[in-house]
Amino acid sequence: MKQNQKRAWLFLAPTIIFVTGFSIFPILRAFVMSFQGGPLIALDWTGFSNYQYIFKDPEFWTAIKNTIIYALVSVPVALAISIMLAWLIFSKVKRKSFFETTFFMPYVTSTIAIGIVFRYIFNGDYGLLNFVLKALHLPAPNWIDDPSMSLTTIIIFGVWTSLAFNIVILMGALRNIDPNYYTIADMYGASGTEKFWRITMPQLIPTIAFLLTMNIIAAFKVYTSVYALFNGQAGVGNSATTAVFYIYNKFQIVGTPGVAMAATVVLFLIILFITFLQRKMMKKIGEQ
Amino acid sequence: MNDENFVQVKNLRKVYENGHEAIKDVSFSVKKGDLVCLLGPSGCGKTTIFNMLAGLLTPTSGDILFDGKSVVKTAPKDRQIGYVFQNYALYPHMTVLQNVMFPLTVGKNKRPKAEAEKVARKYMNLTQIDEFADQKPDQLSGGQQQRVAIARALVQEPKILLMDEPLSNLDARLRLKIREEIRSLVKKVGITTLFVTHDQEEALSIGDKIILFNDGVIQQDDLGQNLYSEPNNYFVANFVGNPVIDNFSVEVKDGKVTGSDFEIAVSDLKQDRFKHELKDGKYVLSVRPENILPAESGNVKVTIQDIELIGRERILKFNHDGIQARSLVDLETPIKAGDNINLKMRLDRIFIFTPEGERVY
Repeated sequence: MKQNQKRAWLFLAPTIIFVTGFSIFPILRAFVMSFQGGPLIALDWTGFSNYQYIFKDPEFWTAIKNTIIYALVSVPVALAISIMLAWLIFSKVKRKSFFETTFFMPYVTSTIAIGIVFRYIFNGDYGLLNFVLKALHLPAPNWIDDPSMSLTTIIIFGVWTSLAFNIVILMGALRNIDPNYYTIADMYGASGTEKFWRITMPQLIPTIAFLLTMNIIAAFKVYTSVYALFNGQAGVGNSATTAVFYIYNKFQIVGTPGVAMAATVVLFLIILFITFLQRKMMKKIGEQ
Repeated sequence: MNDENFVQVKNLRKVYENGHEAIKDVSFSVKKGDLVCLLGPSGCGKTTIFNMLAGLLTPTSGDILFDGKSVVKTAPKDRQIGYVFQNYALYPHMTVLQNVMFPLTVGKNKRPKAEAEKVARKYMNLTQIDEFADQKPDQLSGGQQQRVAIARALVQEPKILLMDEPLSNLDARLRLKIREEIRSLVKKVGITTLFVTHDQEEALSIGDKIILFNDGVIQQDDLGQNLYSEPNNYFVANFVGNPVIDNFSVEVKDGKVTGSDFEIAVSDLKQDRFKHELKDGKYVLSVRPENILPAESGNVKVTIQDIELIGRERILKFNHDGIQARSLVDLETPIKAGDNINLKMRLDRIFIFTPEGERVY
């Protein structure tokens, strides 16, 4: 028995070393660094001053505010659209695999590449989006260069990019629902809406909970799409700055790793709290 | 009105898109309030017929009448049927009460919640599942889930109840209990019930009558006991009965039925049991194991190879003409494996079939 245990550790060692080295250590290091000041090669202890700094920094609050708005708007909207589209493809479309592939394409394409394409679509003067909006006699705002629009632009882009993954996962979940459930409902004359709300939605709850968690976490870490859409900036005059953008900026550009790590710890706690809250909520819904 | 022919199926035929003819010209009728079993081996077309009755499949040709009215063009929801699926298909996210209420809370049969609950409670009481009202289906045993499925099928007060292999998900002991329950329940409600199964024992014990299918054709539409004692053809004789019937190859010539080591004079056979004239040629003689018994005067000489005990009786197994055959005897019969004995057939209980399976005697 004892000998077996020793040998087990041997087999576990590679994983343990990797997980410790590349997951646990960086987290702890970030936590430690958030209490240190100075450049990376000469860190010294500064106590809570990094935290004091970020809490007083209006830019930090803008970043957090933007991130929260982005997450709380883009995630539910994207999920609602995904459910709608997945249900439509599932129940109405004959050649499902074609549409599934089409919808999944953005997921395997680089966000940077898509972002560059969207830069052109969103362009205020000659973009495709405004061309359509003008043709329909709708207001055509300057999506990219108007600071008041930048957050909206990112949200639209964020919704679009998260559809792919959501739809594929939801299609999988829809396929797993016993078709007899619908046959029975049909026999009793249930309408399409009734079937959707009484059977499909309750059956999708676990999948929706999973997607919500994944999407929220991803949304709080939004960076690449901002970078791609605004050509490496956080929007005009940093109007679309996000938490990760702030962290990156403080770390690489300004050269204050301690401040960046303090912001990282705060972001970590926010994500933890929201995920926890959301799990509780989904559990309640699931029970009903 | 149409009590004798409450459910009527006329010249029903179904050819699937891939060209497979699952049902070939099937006609039968069911009396009001009867419990009828559709019996047959897997792939015989019984489920296809069922799905056409339920409206889940459209017949290629033929007609289906419920209470004298054709329902072929009627949507499933307007056919006034209750359907119990093989796997019950209870909604896992709803409680038992919600499951049973479901048919009364959707579509055009929607009723006020209080009224729906009242009806649901009535049928839950009938099926004895009141105490599980607030539980989810996965907390119930197979038999309890079955009753929930039946209660749900009954709440819309349908005229016809369709049950597709409702016992196949239950273990053997429970199956015996539930099939009695189902029978007493549908009799109490008085609903006309069609029941699909591949298990002959189940069909014999539960059905008022049995419709035996094979190859998309009705082999026999009869009372259970007739299926056993007066089979229409070779298939029925071999499908029904446990232990299975003994079959011997025989030849008829010069007024004698000759097997590999026995002879029967045609004149010894009961004349009124002949269905057709027994011409000279090759035939199959079949006899149920309880009708071929050890006797000094017996003309079939065999060596017992093995003895199987089945409770009150014993099966003597012997090899005859290269085929294993059986004789069903009392527990007390003093015969051991290896004994050479004579067997005697009850000539008024044997069957003679043509090689094509048609019954002659």
